[in-house]
Amino acid sequence: MKRFWIALLLLGAIFTGTLFHIRSLHGFTDTLAGLLEQADELAAAEQWEQARTLTDQAKDTWADRDVYLHVLLRHADTDSIYAGFRETLALLDSREYGEYAAANARLITQIQLLYEAEQLTLKNLL
Amino acid sequence: MVIAFLRTIILYAFIIIGIRLMGKRQVGELEPSELVLALLIADLAAVPMQDFGIPLLTGLIPILTLLCLTMALSVLTMKSVRFRAVLCGRPSVIVENGKLRQSEMRKNRFTLDELMEELRMKGITDLSAVKYAILETNGQISVLLYAAQQPVTARQMGLTPQEPGLPMVIINDGRVITRTLHSRGLSEQWLKNQLRQHNVQRTEDVFLLTVDEQNTVYLAKKEADK
Repeated sequence: MKRFWIALLLLGAIFTGTLFHIRSLHGFTDTLAGLLEQADELAAAEQWEQARTLTDQAKDTWADRDVYLHVLLRHADTDSIYAGFRETLALLDSREYGEYAAANARLITQIQLLYEAEQLTLKNLL
Repeated sequence: MVIAFLRTIILYAFIIIGIRLMGKRQVGELEPSELVLALLIADLAAVPMQDFGIPLLTGLIPILTLLCLTMALSVLTMKSVRFRAVLCGRPSVIVENGKLRQSEMRKNRFTLDELMEELRMKGITDLSAVKYAILETNGQISVLLYAAQQPVTARQMGLTPQEPGLPMVIINDGRVITRTLHSRGLSEQWLKNQLRQHNVQRTEDVFLLTVDEQNTVYLAKKEADK
């Protein structure tokens, strides 16, 4: 019976770990999306330097958890978001609001999709 | 990750139910839960092994989940007879007193050809000699012949043959297995004497030497290289 309880304990630990991962990812993606949305508002008001600072901050926040994200998420998704940051920063430097806004919106969507794909919903389960 | 975890549990349960519905013949020598584990685990390991774009954890979490589920199920099947019957099924009597139980055969989707093949493999050609043929939960057939059809045993003949016990390998392809030699209470000197008696000079010249519990020695010399 000891083995049975060990097995159940491990299953419980995996389940709790995965739920913790979802919660952590939710907070993380919300923070990034918030920073990028603020950057967009600043860029719309032609405050390019502040917009760049916020986008840089979001990119650094992303880079700080690079290993964690690489271990838990599909590498194609993480690579595509990293490329999205580079593109958005380049467009910020060129100060082309239209193209920047489109790239930034795409980046925000990609980041939010990371959480949505991991979210515990019937849609995802099926 | 939680989706992978829950999907693993759902798919595992569905495949076990599927295997159970397929009948005992599909199971082979494994329990349904073990068979499903064997079917799934290799594929789960292969995906992150080949695709570097997928994190290793994507394979490890479902594998660990499956191992835990199999462990839990195997403990439950040991502890509960009822659970074991649900998971593994019950043995089915296919032949009783020499008569085919056709309803049981239909229930297990077991054909006459398969039954006759299994009986022939056990050296039985006459169905009327079979007292019971039982389709076990692992898909194998157990056959019990009528008493009159069974071979005579030494006991029935009033004989008391010596029990040779399990022969143990002492020399394997020229190598002396000292642990086995000592566990039988034999010494290197005894081994030397045995080699001398069989006209062998060195242990390297022996292909196989076994000793049973009566200290009866079987020795096969190495053939010369051609």
